[in-house]
Amino acid sequence: MRYLSRLLALALALAATIGTPASAQEPEERKTGISRRDGRLLVSLGLQDLFRTPDAQRLLSGFTSRVLVRVAIMRLDHAEPVAQSMRQTEIVYDLWDEKFRVRRFEAGGKVEMRETATATEAITLATALDAFPVVDLDRLEPGVSYRLSVRADLNPISQELLADVRRWLARPSPRGRAGSGDSFFGSFVSIFVNPRIDESERQLRLVSPAWVEPPR
Amino acid sequence: MRFTPLAALLIFLPSLAQAQVPAAPSESTAELSSGFGLQYTIERIEVRGNRKTRTALILREVALSPGDTVTADDARVERARLRLLALGYFLDARLSMIKGERRGGVVLVIDVEERGTIVVGAIPLGTSDATTLWGGMDVSERNFLGRGLSLSAGFVSSTRPKVDGAEPALGLSLRMAGPPRVHGLSLSGNALFSRGSEFFRARGPSDDPNPAEFVAVNVRRAGGVLGVGAVLSRTTYVLAEARFEAVRAALPSLRDRTSGQGAAQPIAFLVREGSSRLGSLALTLVLDSRTDPVLPRAGQHLVVSLEAATPACASQYTYLKATAQGSLYFPLSVGHVLGVHGLLGGVLGDAPYFDRFFVGDLNLLLPPRAFGINFSTQPSRDFLGTAVADHRYDKLAGRLLLEYAVPLWQRHRFFYRGDVFAAFGIFAVTNPDDLRRGGASLGQRLPADLTADLGLRLDTYIGIFTLSVANALGRLPL
Repeated sequence: MRYLSRLLALALALAATIGTPASAQEPEERKTGISRRDGRLLVSLGLQDLFRTPDAQRLLSGFTSRVLVRVAIMRLDHAEPVAQSMRQTEIVYDLWDEKFRVRRFEAGGKVEMRETATATEAITLATALDAFPVVDLDRLEPGVSYRLSVRADLNPISQELLADVRRWLARPSPRGRAGSGDSFFGSFVSIFVNPRIDESERQLRLVSPAWVEPPR
Repeated sequence: MRFTPLAALLIFLPSLAQAQVPAAPSESTAELSSGFGLQYTIERIEVRGNRKTRTALILREVALSPGDTVTADDARVERARLRLLALGYFLDARLSMIKGERRGGVVLVIDVEERGTIVVGAIPLGTSDATTLWGGMDVSERNFLGRGLSLSAGFVSSTRPKVDGAEPALGLSLRMAGPPRVHGLSLSGNALFSRGSEFFRARGPSDDPNPAEFVAVNVRRAGGVLGVGAVLSRTTYVLAEARFEAVRAALPSLRDRTSGQGAAQPIAFLVREGSSRLGSLALTLVLDSRTDPVLPRAGQHLVVSLEAATPACASQYTYLKATAQGSLYFPLSVGHVLGVHGLLGGVLGDAPYFDRFFVGDLNLLLPPRAFGINFSTQPSRDFLGTAVADHRYDKLAGRLLLEYAVPLWQRHRFFYRGDVFAAFGIFAVTNPDDLRRGGASLGQRLPADLTADLGLRLDTYIGIFTLSVANALGRLPL
């Protein structure tokens, strides 16, 4: 009993130190153009701030840069998306012809190729959504509130590759606690400069203002 | 991996059950996905920003040479960048090309930003009924002399334990390992010296941690391990080790345990008196498909090891030790993670106590050993009313733990990720003789106990930490 009461006290003390968890960064709400045409909901939105100055300079590297934009439409009363659409854009600088080649892959297998003279134009092609189709209107219920959730990734990394890198970084002992004193849960501490290697080089998460779907 | 649009869809879409999944790219899309047809020949390679790390080491990781042809979306380039980052020597690594001397020729430029590579790997620190204070540190330089060698040194020291005849503990460890290689072999060497006492009960009830009820065996160990490891695949690693130790044990004059009825039984000290030698060969197989080694969300981690000590290895102890540890992680629909951790181990033969399964290594609520030295006389709590309090070093062990983890945050500035977790499990330890003992209850033949933990795991800019109830209990005499 003595042990249990001390254990409980410790647990409560620990819970107190945890306090209110630092919340995940809330996505910014951004003004979004919504239109309806040919039975589809279309979205217009600028995501150019996905690129910062060094990223724009890196477009000159000669290697392909990728931008993946995903737009999900959510009912306000549900956590799961009603539908999602996405677009991947590849940008590469032709070192010898000194121009940017841009290729956009959209849902349904549509591919669009463009060439631009400047990085700014290439970035705009990759990050501006102009009447981008998200969902067929017959999947939306009139009178129900919806909002868009948008995520843009610059040079996304596959989960598999990410796990490989993290594994190499942490480089844990192959033996467990029962073998050598390491621990799954216990006094596990490792102090080092631990740079974040993320799912992509930069990520932008946004939501649109909510709207009520009008009757048709 | 080639990052085609189809791959992107496969990676990012699986959780969206109701999502409108775009059709797979057409044949024409696949044909187009080949770096826009841009192909270059590398004329030379320039490495910039490496003040400490050898250029040859960087080039080896990049695995591209002058004369090689690269495309604009060459998968080797992204993999090379991540492999450089994974070395842990750089804050950033970038590959780019500039025009070469001939049309179609390029200079491959590798820009790296070096970082500090000294890592504090462990801080053993605590106090117990038997030992007023022990403390130490394990520090590694992961890029020794800029050659990618990992050099680790650690120590632990304690005050003189309150057990009669015990001596203050000192443990020293020195380890060197070759640079990590995805292909080929990696060599490692480890030297260990330890001086300390192990405690054996001489009188009193099994659940009494009073140090006055124990006698001390003073043991010195000096030796080392040579290992050779090989990465067999992305998730599979195998390690072969040869170990040799010189052991010197001074047994106490009191060698019998007095029971409550006054009867005396010889104490099994589980180590040869005077000088002895231990030599063994071990093979360890690691399968690791976890999404993250610190805060996994899915995947599995399996470690199977077999160690054989025989006279052929100049050993005076003859035994075979097998251990299998596995962890499975299941992502739940609400973003939480269920972890199942299992351990099974057995020793056949005459293993010294320090190579048997120690209850403090199995029970999260007890102090674990540091550098193979135990500092506590605390028995297991015996929540199940078995004979577990009487067991410290055993030949057979098993443990099953369930862990429930709730991600608290992600992508915060200093704290990258944090999980609060609760773990609950059961373990059992015994010896073959106890198992076979006729007329004994199940609790005496197979002593078991409950174990648990509750805490917070943090992945931060300055490292990885666990703050938990068990962690505190392992360091304080509660």
